[in-house]
Amino acid sequence: MTCVQLSRDLQQQLVLLRLHLEQPAMQFPEIWLRDNCQCPKCYMQQTRSRLPHGWNCLDTGVRLQQLSWCAEQQALLIDWSDGHQSSYALGWLRARDFSPANRARYLRDIYRPERRHWSGLEFAQIQREFQYEELLRNDETLLQWLHQLAVHGLALIRQAPLEAHVLRQLCNRVGFMRRTTYGDEWSVRAQPGASNYAYMAAPLPLHTDMPYFEYKPSITLLHTLQQSESPGGWNLISDAFHVADLLRQREPSAFQLLSGTPVDWADIGSDKELYFHNIWRAPVINLDAKGRYVRINHSIPQRDSHFSVPPEQVRPWYEAMAMFIRLANEEACAFKTTPGDILTFDNVRIVHGRTGYDDTDHNVRHIVGAFLDWDIAYSRWRVLRNALGHNK
Amino acid sequence: MMLAQSIRRTISHLSPPMCRPLSARIVDKVNIEVQPAQTGADAGAGGAVLTFPGVWLRDNCRCPACYHSSSQSRQLDWNHFDPGVHPLALHVDAAKEQLHVRWSDAHESSFELDWLRRRSFDGQSQSAYLNDFYRPRTSHWAGAQFEQIVQRFSYDQVMSEDEALQHWLKALAVYGVVLLNGAPLDEGVVRRLAERVGFIRRTTYGEEFIVQAKPGAKNYAYLSLPLPLHTDLPYYEYKPSVNLLHCVVQTQSRGGSNLLVDAYHIADRLRQEQPEHFERLSRTPVDWNDIGSEDGREFHNIWRAPVICLDADGNYTRINHSVPQRDSHFNVPLGQVLPWYESYARFVQLARGDAYSFKTQPGDVLTFNNLRLLHGRTGYDDTADNSRYIVGAYLDWDIIYSRLRVLKKRLSKASGTAAA
Repeated sequence: MTCVQLSRDLQQQLVLLRLHLEQPAMQFPEIWLRDNCQCPKCYMQQTRSRLPHGWNCLDTGVRLQQLSWCAEQQALLIDWSDGHQSSYALGWLRARDFSPANRARYLRDIYRPERRHWSGLEFAQIQREFQYEELLRNDETLLQWLHQLAVHGLALIRQAPLEAHVLRQLCNRVGFMRRTTYGDEWSVRAQPGASNYAYMAAPLPLHTDMPYFEYKPSITLLHTLQQSESPGGWNLISDAFHVADLLRQREPSAFQLLSGTPVDWADIGSDKELYFHNIWRAPVINLDAKGRYVRINHSIPQRDSHFSVPPEQVRPWYEAMAMFIRLANEEACAFKTTPGDILTFDNVRIVHGRTGYDDTDHNVRHIVGAFLDWDIAYSRWRVLRNALGHNK
Repeated sequence: MMLAQSIRRTISHLSPPMCRPLSARIVDKVNIEVQPAQTGADAGAGGAVLTFPGVWLRDNCRCPACYHSSSQSRQLDWNHFDPGVHPLALHVDAAKEQLHVRWSDAHESSFELDWLRRRSFDGQSQSAYLNDFYRPRTSHWAGAQFEQIVQRFSYDQVMSEDEALQHWLKALAVYGVVLLNGAPLDEGVVRRLAERVGFIRRTTYGEEFIVQAKPGAKNYAYLSLPLPLHTDLPYYEYKPSVNLLHCVVQTQSRGGSNLLVDAYHIADRLRQEQPEHFERLSRTPVDWNDIGSEDGREFHNIWRAPVICLDADGNYTRINHSVPQRDSHFNVPLGQVLPWYESYARFVQLARGDAYSFKTQPGDVLTFNNLRLLHGRTGYDDTADNSRYIVGAYLDWDIIYSRLRVLKKRLSKASGTAAA
């Protein structure tokens, strides 16, 4: 039986709970404990959510009156100044300890795993391959694939059947496909008079897909059905977060310009019956409040001729952009998928492209593409980690 | 010099309206200044000088080698693009209203004046483009103003007339709420409406969802209890943008009323009246979550973000609020917890005090911006003869704004006015 020591920090209004003398005490704010009371009046087990009526007139002045430990239930018991009583199980508390170490563990193991950025030279080390049939059959393999995509942003799936339904099957294994103005799945092959620049045999420079959406599709899946026999049609891939790292170190002013200048990304056209005029204004390098990367936007064809910034910012931005593209090309790795391969990558982060190829009747290239969103992929990653016991 | 200037001023003051043809010149070696033709009549707005950065013009060359017209995309070779490129010589075709440029990289380009004008770098033109074409500017409102700001459109008109469709979507963008009336009472209404705009945004809960009391429901909304103010799905990074709620059956009991609040207005008030609360609510990341299953598929959604989300310029991008969907995990340093609770309690209190209450009738479709508005409903008695049946679906702003732009171009072409 655990020997538990309870105490209070009256000034900060904390409850301290120590399990072993040599370990630091777990710390919990009183107001948070009251808000997260687990009794049936405050918490609904069937929906796993807080009952909201308590918040209609929440009293943030609520005080703890009595604190005790129930050894039998291994639970913390509290009497509150509003007459309410609460009880919290030890395991539940432990998972929610406010210590920096526990919070870091939660972010890494439950929220989203930490990303590792990689240079072109490291490609061989970070690259991982998965077998299609195993992804469908084995949950552990599915988890590893999602984990690889989250951490390194890139994974190659081999030996998929050469059938049209493959990407749908794979996406349904995760959750569901992300639909866009181009539908659920789309076909990449040379089309004369194409309405999208990717649907041609010309070289396709490094880019991210669909930067013109606020909700940019998160993960791109490219299934090779037929590959060109010509020397071209190679895939190019570069980790743009690594490129941003390089720029941040070497050319901080260029980094500043690319992360601070909004660019107009656009796509004007139609697909089947749907006419669209998509625009999203955002920098090339997008940062959160703490300066961490949230997204890269880059596409030469999809950058609008409208550029809504003061004219004096234009030339410096172009110089920084040229530098970004040069670095991205230097860091790019090249490989050529073969029929049955599915190339999957984080479209929020990775720039991809292909070299040109000769398109003739005997020498075609046919790729089917689809997207998944991170909301759905991370949810699946969490469910799998939990089911497979990775969080124990 | 002084003399020359004063003479010129005198002459221009005295002379009758002059006609001056389109002209252009290179300024500071790298930029191009375009002076549209001036006649006496429009010497004002239409004739203002336009200055374009040379490197931008070169990047946007319209020739077939640089621009792929069927995909409306740039195809210039950026692997060898020199941002130091500059104009060497200009030539103007006044009759055709075209500008020809010869560049330092030996390339030549032509631009139509009209194309240039619509891409003017002048601050006023740029904000007009952003507000009229990119995304209309929002107007925030207090609950007491609801009846003034809410617009009502007929479902049939929205389905059949492009202009009604445009008005609906524009009002939704500006005010965040619009009511559609007279929809049929079948379950396909929200899908037809969404497909009139683009397509439904799918979530963990599927495409359409039914809100009715279900004993043993896995989601709090599927109960007949009062549902306090909230936004839907705050636990998504890609939170569904617009809610379509089609009332098929409304309860006869006293409850079941809709509650709506413009949370951007609440944020405005906090920003002015209690900036310390605003500060905390816009900086403290909160763990929003949803754990459960739907149709046998388990999910565990988490998104960490503040209650009030701002962009780099301090504009609102999104409000997150849901008491049931706020995780018991709270990933912030200890010292931030109690102050955050105090600020959040204030936010909830202000929102409750501002809520506007009304009750939709069968055939109404309530549409509102889920990134901005809080919605809720009062409790109701659910019995066999007294039920409530709402069909819902989501649309995303990416798809709505795209539709608005397409409509704006189509309708302004029809009426002969210019759009971007």
